[in-house]
Amino acid sequence: MLLLTILSFSLSFLFPGNSVINMSGQVNATAEQLSLLAAQYQQNENIFSQYLAYISRIFSGDLGLSMASQLPISSEIANLLPATVELSLVALLLAMVTGIPIGFIAAIRHRKASDNIILTIAMLGYSIPVFWLGLLAILVFSIQLGWLPSAGQISLLYEINHVTGIQFIDILLSDSQYKWQAFQNAGAHIIMPACVIALAPATLFIRLARSAMLEVLETSYIRAAKAKGLTLQQIIFRHAIRNAFVKVIRDVGLQFANLVTIAMVTEVIFSWPGIGRWLIESIFHRDYTAIQGGLLALSCFIFLVHILTDFIYAALNPLAREKKHGT
Amino acid sequence: MAREKIYQEEEFPSPLMQLWYNFRQKPIVMLGFGAVLFLIILAIFSPILTPYPSTQNHLNDLLLPPAWHPIDGNVSYLLGTDKLGRDMLSRLMHGASFTFGLSFIVVIISLIIGVVIGSLSALTSGIKSSFLNHFLDVVLSIPSLLLAIVIVAILGPGLSNTVWAIVIVLIPQFIHVTRNEVKQEFTKDYVLASRLDGASSLRILQYSIFPNIIEKIIGQATLAQSAAILDIAALGFLGLGAPIPMPEWGAMLSDGIDLFYIAPWTVYLPGLAILFSVVATNLVGEGMRHALKLRKDK
Repeated sequence: MLLLTILSFSLSFLFPGNSVINMSGQVNATAEQLSLLAAQYQQNENIFSQYLAYISRIFSGDLGLSMASQLPISSEIANLLPATVELSLVALLLAMVTGIPIGFIAAIRHRKASDNIILTIAMLGYSIPVFWLGLLAILVFSIQLGWLPSAGQISLLYEINHVTGIQFIDILLSDSQYKWQAFQNAGAHIIMPACVIALAPATLFIRLARSAMLEVLETSYIRAAKAKGLTLQQIIFRHAIRNAFVKVIRDVGLQFANLVTIAMVTEVIFSWPGIGRWLIESIFHRDYTAIQGGLLALSCFIFLVHILTDFIYAALNPLAREKKHGT
Repeated sequence: MAREKIYQEEEFPSPLMQLWYNFRQKPIVMLGFGAVLFLIILAIFSPILTPYPSTQNHLNDLLLPPAWHPIDGNVSYLLGTDKLGRDMLSRLMHGASFTFGLSFIVVIISLIIGVVIGSLSALTSGIKSSFLNHFLDVVLSIPSLLLAIVIVAILGPGLSNTVWAIVIVLIPQFIHVTRNEVKQEFTKDYVLASRLDGASSLRILQYSIFPNIIEKIIGQATLAQSAAILDIAALGFLGLGAPIPMPEWGAMLSDGIDLFYIAPWTVYLPGLAILFSVVATNLVGEGMRHALKLRKDK
């Protein structure tokens, strides 16, 4: 976390141009304003106190103004981040719900035809470039079949007030009479991008789940259960799935960072109003303040999910808890 | 190559040769290997092999579909033409040297830098190495594409900046692998034996350790290669990498989007090319890991 802020702090020096302007985003400021800002950021002190000043400004919620739109970055991020959170969480859920069971099936039928087929598909899915897949999905499902909308978060017909930013919660909170239709519409909008994002992580989950299950099936307690005369079904459902699942959960946090990057690219294709698209646009505009703030927000989000999965893992697995207390 | 045993003598092939014998057992892996070789040849010789230069416009033949199209197909443009009348086949072949060839170069540069830093850091200990360890942990937890996008944001868009960005992104992975492997090998007895013979650390590194860990590094290199292809293409697609007239596959893809609904082949062909090269690379990597496991189990 500390390293992240240091990185984002040093970015303002690495970007071309004046570092004060880069940090505050005041492009049209006069010389007096600039000197005032420089005093605020303690530019004339040494690097260390400059850094402390920067940190204190972040904690007070001030990330500067966007160079392109001259709006405060923090409010823009508050507008955009929830959409990304929504999209990536739905995609993560999809990836886990499909990937893990398929991986388990592959492990149970180890070295049979179905195992090989699943592995081949997993490798193909892992190799498909995500932007290409997104375009093909639009071509097939929205242009040729006309089943799903191709862009945006919800149809413009529905007026939903921006409360939390997460569309589904907003719809439920709103008192529109078309609540249910709006809900369906938002659902139809999220399916395609979420599926596209979920594909690559799902194939990774297949591999993880497969190797975790294989490991569990080799252990002696499974052999003991077999010796007791339990059927394969009983062994799998009562003993193996729980233990293998815990192992997969441990890696979810790492995969999530990957998933968020894929989500960034996908947002561009599906014009999803999220932070990824905004970040990439701000790279085009050379909007350095926005890049800094956006990166900070995005990595905080990834970091939070990391910690969360660690907690869930500890809660699910007594063994991990014991070890932590021991050391 | 028939290896007949005339003498009673046992032959011990080097680790790399053993890997090769195991590697070529599986036909599907050899298929992938052949595809990779094909792409390498294409990347090197594409200026000689292509029917047209990559930017030559045929203004009478705009947006021709591929040759197998029943009405408009034209054999002189096997895979059709794009909106400026440029031959798709030649562009795809030229693109091999950008997307695939560049990713190959990227991997080799970052492999060399990474292995050197990694093996030197394995020899050090104390505060320097623990600092490096923590730093690597942080860098490795950031996804490669995100880091590449940040670096491109600093350097500014462009193909050469993309290449440097991806080199920087890939280096930590190589450092990590080399460091762990070298540390592991150093605890083994044969290293102790040569140390007792009076060999210096660098000599041990060169003659005892590198031959034994090279296969792990190559395995990592195939992973890095597929990541590099995808990253170069993704950056090209986002408009942060190769500029539009260049026949880089990702940039070609984003170039075709406008006319996607009229001329889908301008989009699906570069995509297929990327998919093909990544699958081939992954097949080789998979075969490598499998062969490695076979050797370890023996």
